[in-house]
Amino acid sequence: MTHSLHRRGTAESLSEDYVLLCLPAIGMNDDGHDPKLQEFLRIALRHDPKNIGGITKGNMYSHKPEEVVAAAHGIVHAVFDNQDTVTQVLRELKEADLGMSVVVSGIFENVDECLEKAGLKHHTANFSLGIWGKTEKLPSNDILEVTTMCGHGLIASNLVKAMVEEIKAGTKTPEAAAKELAPQCACGIFNPARTAKLLVAMAAK
Amino acid sequence: MKIDGDTCIACGVCVPYCPMGAISLDGVAVIDQDECVDCGVCLKSGVCPVDCIIFEPAPWPRSLRVTFSDPRTEHKATGIAGRGTEEMKTNDVTGRFKNGWVGMGLEFGRPGIGTRFYDVDKVAQVLAKQGVEFEPKNPVSFLMEDVKTGKIREDILNEKVLSTIIECLFPIEKFKAVIAALKEVAKEVDTVFSVECINRADPDGSYPLRKLLVEMGIPHYINGKQCVGLGRPLAEGGN
Repeated sequence: MTHSLHRRGTAESLSEDYVLLCLPAIGMNDDGHDPKLQEFLRIALRHDPKNIGGITKGNMYSHKPEEVVAAAHGIVHAVFDNQDTVTQVLRELKEADLGMSVVVSGIFENVDECLEKAGLKHHTANFSLGIWGKTEKLPSNDILEVTTMCGHGLIASNLVKAMVEEIKAGTKTPEAAAKELAPQCACGIFNPARTAKLLVAMAAK
Repeated sequence: MKIDGDTCIACGVCVPYCPMGAISLDGVAVIDQDECVDCGVCLKSGVCPVDCIIFEPAPWPRSLRVTFSDPRTEHKATGIAGRGTEEMKTNDVTGRFKNGWVGMGLEFGRPGIGTRFYDVDKVAQVLAKQGVEFEPKNPVSFLMEDVKTGKIREDILNEKVLSTIIECLFPIEKFKAVIAALKEVAKEVDTVFSVECINRADPDGSYPLRKLLVEMGIPHYINGKQCVGLGRPLAEGGN
């Protein structure tokens, strides 16, 4: 379940992409965990998340945020686009002391700055060593920057290409195209705000 | 996944939604059954205007496709939806990854290519020869005939899934040898695999694996995941 790892992009683009995950450890502290995950999502919702979601229900582009909160179970996610917000959310999570594990995905250096300001320290890291094997089968890098935001691979390369063509044709705005891609990512770790900017760049080529 | 050809109006709306590119138009929309991984994206996207996309649960071994491809499907063996385990996400509570050890995950078919289990089998056997410990709760470990050899059961080798993960653990001293073996076997697979490595921070906050990667000249992404130690109760040796 490494779904928020392996997101591709430039430092500039990834500096607007942070995923927070909240979950219990099965068999160790998962009794009655749903309200704690719901509180995590409520905290996230106070800070203008670019997405929230959970595998049991879907994300805020396929359901109302309150429906996603009500269905929280197992693991939940929230996406933000700047360090200041991540720092504030982490401060509130520390204060809330939910007892659930929290993971932050993002540029290591930036996340560490947020942790320090929030009075937290990193515990364990997951590093991506990239893509190995028959890489000639991969689509272009700009497509991958979008599709790797759904770690389960549910956003098709061809759908991204179709959205770019619609933007070029003027039949869809970049924001609308990004919101059309978002529901496919069941967990809600897709970042439509970042995607809209990537689609603009692709359509300009 | 199947298309009801009698109902399909050949509008083609579903075609770009397939992560495997397995849908085409031939009079009506058709799905290449060998390439389809039963992820359900075409159906769950809800884009078909006449509701002609159908999912019928398949018998073994094809039944593996939906389990590994649709993350909304829970693996009966692990009780976890998705393709792997909690891995490092709950390490503050489980203490599964200790100082001096490296966790490794190899996700086959990711991103967006898909994989057959024969490629997973090749790499798993190479890892087994390096003496790694396969994660017992990982769904792929359940499909091994013998976790000591890494051999995947014969009857599923040609099944295709959107992606699947091998998870293993070994002392950091073995890292160079494991990477060297992986580099060799990577030339023999017909798909891609995304490589991840997990490392517990030392008390001073440094990651020994990061230092080793620099020493070996192996690049890692500037972004990644970090567990931040908020889980309770903390595992022994916690922050």
